[in-house]
Amino acid sequence: MTRASVRGSGARAAAQVRPERPFARFRWTVTVVLLALLAWSTWSVDATWGRLLQAPGRAVGFVGTLVETASLEPLGVALEAMWESIAIAWIATLLGAALSFPLVFLAAANLTRSRVRQPVRQVLNVFRAIPEIVLAIALIPFLGLGPVTGAVAMGISSIGTLGKLSAEIVESIDDGPLQAVEASGGGRLERLRWAVLPQAMPEIAAFWLYRFEINIRVSAVLGVIGIGGIGGFIAQAVERNVFERIGLGLLVVILATMLVDAISSRLRRRLIEGPSPAAQARRERASTGGGPTGDDAA
Amino acid sequence: MSGEASVDRERGRTEPAGRQVRPRKPPPQPFTILGLAGLVAFTLVTAWDWALGIGFDPLALPGELADSNPAMVEGLFNVTDADWRAQYVELLRTHFTDPDSPWPLSLDSRIGGGLVETVQIAVLATIVGAALSLPLAVLNARLGAPDRVTHAVVKALNNVNRAIPDVIWAALFVVLVGVGALPGILALTMFTIGVVVKLTSDVVDGIDRGPIEAARAAGASHAAAMRTALVPQILPAYASFSLYAFELNLRGAAVLGFVGAGGIGQAMSYYWSQLDFEAVSVIVFVYLVLVVVVEQVSISIRRRLG
Amino acid sequence: MIEFEGAEVRYPGGVRALQGVDLRIDDGELIVVVGLSGAGKSTLIRAINGLVPLTSGRVTVGERTLPGLDRRALRELRAQVGMIFQSFNLVSRSTVLNNVLMGRLHHVPLWRSLSGLYRAQDRELAMEALELVEIVEKAYVRAGNLSGGQQQRVGIARALAQQPSVLLADEPVASLDPPTSHVVMRYLQQINRELGITTLINLHFLDLARAYADRVIGLRDGRLVYDGPAAQADEAVFEEIYGRSLTADDVLEGQGGL
Repeated sequence: MTRASVRGSGARAAAQVRPERPFARFRWTVTVVLLALLAWSTWSVDATWGRLLQAPGRAVGFVGTLVETASLEPLGVALEAMWESIAIAWIATLLGAALSFPLVFLAAANLTRSRVRQPVRQVLNVFRAIPEIVLAIALIPFLGLGPVTGAVAMGISSIGTLGKLSAEIVESIDDGPLQAVEASGGGRLERLRWAVLPQAMPEIAAFWLYRFEINIRVSAVLGVIGIGGIGGFIAQAVERNVFERIGLGLLVVILATMLVDAISSRLRRRLIEGPSPAAQARRERASTGGGPTGDDAA
Repeated sequence: MSGEASVDRERGRTEPAGRQVRPRKPPPQPFTILGLAGLVAFTLVTAWDWALGIGFDPLALPGELADSNPAMVEGLFNVTDADWRAQYVELLRTHFTDPDSPWPLSLDSRIGGGLVETVQIAVLATIVGAALSLPLAVLNARLGAPDRVTHAVVKALNNVNRAIPDVIWAALFVVLVGVGALPGILALTMFTIGVVVKLTSDVVDGIDRGPIEAARAAGASHAAAMRTALVPQILPAYASFSLYAFELNLRGAAVLGFVGAGGIGQAMSYYWSQLDFEAVSVIVFVYLVLVVVVEQVSISIRRRLG
Repeated sequence: MIEFEGAEVRYPGGVRALQGVDLRIDDGELIVVVGLSGAGKSTLIRAINGLVPLTSGRVTVGERTLPGLDRRALRELRAQVGMIFQSFNLVSRSTVLNNVLMGRLHHVPLWRSLSGLYRAQDRELAMEALELVEIVEKAYVRAGNLSGGQQQRVGIARALAQQPSVLLADEPVASLDPPTSHVVMRYLQQINRELGITTLINLHFLDLARAYADRVIGLRDGRLVYDGPAAQADEAVFEEIYGRSLTADDVLEGQGGL
């Protein structure tokens, strides 16, 4: 095919005006701002970039040492530390869920007037902003340096995210049932119980579980200030060059986190999507005793 | 709505009420029963004060929070001055309740520099991490990967990456490249990749596949088809997740200093070790303001992208 | 020339979409493929550019024969065959020009398509293709902001930017209203006449088929049941192809309510 093959009718082409390529202002602004930030940070940050070149070599040596010193001997201690992290994360999630739950409905636009809602939202924002480590440090004089401190700090700092995102879930529910309950004379609490919760609860519970997954990672972070758990275990091992503990600790944290993620994401899917159609059908047959009403479902 | 109406009509026409069978109330779902039982059991095991629990007592908590424990403080910080906690509590109280209390506005270079460094670490980690994330996010989705092996490998690697907490990455990078901002940047880069790749590749499954078929039908290679037909569709979500990662990085950068990876955490842990609570509370306050401001800006940009 | 020899397609699950199809199409023909939905029209068309692989038999397009092409040869074949889709398959967030440039992907080095820095000659081809369907003034508009008829013209331009020798159109007007359908069909007819591109169009409206085709091919249950000049394809023939009497749904003019 020759180039001319696209140009079929010269006359038609001549009658049309090709537009000018417009100036992509948004794209250029973003590009310039990003490049400026990148350049400023790269030149002024106190980083010895040259060390990046040694890193691969050192990494090979480091991994080599990990493999050489591999040992299952500290497995018990590592598993105990991992379990502690999971326990901290779980208590923190429960605490966060319990503390945020009442605030959710005060922060949702479809349930609460803006005069009440805005302050509640601001409070949630503040909780969101505080890094867990700051809260944990602030709590040490009261609760000591241990897993409970970590759980309370993470629980309090979960309030913000849990409250805000759960409120967004509540805001996204179907308005119809709300009006229906109101029309049949239901008050505020009835609306909550019969219109809001049935619609929003599965997703909110799924989000709690998701927060649990995040909290496991956070509890490892808090480990470095000494609240216990697998984070402190690994950080101390790195600091003291105890290689068999580093390697095993990493292995445990990776496998355990992936395992919890896998279980939790299955539970979340089940919560949101409900039982599988097959399981549902089986239950319906069971509850109606296999009667002739079965074909109503179709 | 119309479905309900038609069911009613049909029932009214064909079946007198007496002939209908009322179903028994079904028993609760096995999932519900097992789930609740598991929940309670797990909570008891983790909360109880024994070998496998952390000893969490919700009833005692308010009391403990109301007053600090001198023995704890002495053991921890090697101070015997009982006034220490009084000072601490008083400081918190005045700074957070008394509007007239003078804030030490002059930030010394350690604090100012730490804040700037925190921002720099977050900026570099976000830009570098997000840039690496776009191709990885495509490969991390079944639709975007050229073959099953690539998909499985990328997915497995990113799951491993996400399972390692950022502070552990920081500690490991301190070993590899020494202390300073560099290990912090590298650690948060890994963290950014984990977040952005996961969230973005979840979006890939929901896109319009038509343009990809069109690109294939035009003889495009897989990479070219992904770039022209898929990437434009996920770009807004990707940009939004990258900004979200920036917010997380700015917050996460606080902890890096505790393992020697730079940022405001270094100043925080320094003054903490000096028992200079005045300085610590200044850091916390200024840092919080920074985080909130950046987050509000980022959220408003993300809302426009969405 | 396109030639089917004993072409069969059996989908996983056992559905036989094409059964023993033998067919020869000469260069420059405008063929309309008719049949009920599920008769195998879409499969027939997609077998030509390998989007649906044959389970037995062969299709020859020019000097290439499917199956048996490696990945590279398959992409070369696809580059030579333009395709137009029922739902347009445009990237709605990209500009019209970038959508049309997708037709150049096979001819462009990877680094250029990845960076979006297309050569001037590729842009020129894309512009010319847009001029051919008279929509060049929308070149820098987002494709999603166009009406259905305009989007389908962009779809045609994208196929033309490939400089194809064969054009496949899978129900190109099924998502459009009657006047717009005629506009799109007229563009396809003009392109066939002026550029001499062999054109295969799937349709289910018999009046459109008769108005624009040189030759009509009828499919039922994956078998070729009619092959003849459009002029001879009267209502009896269509009833034969459909295996039932005709209804208002079978003619475009019957779709006034749309």
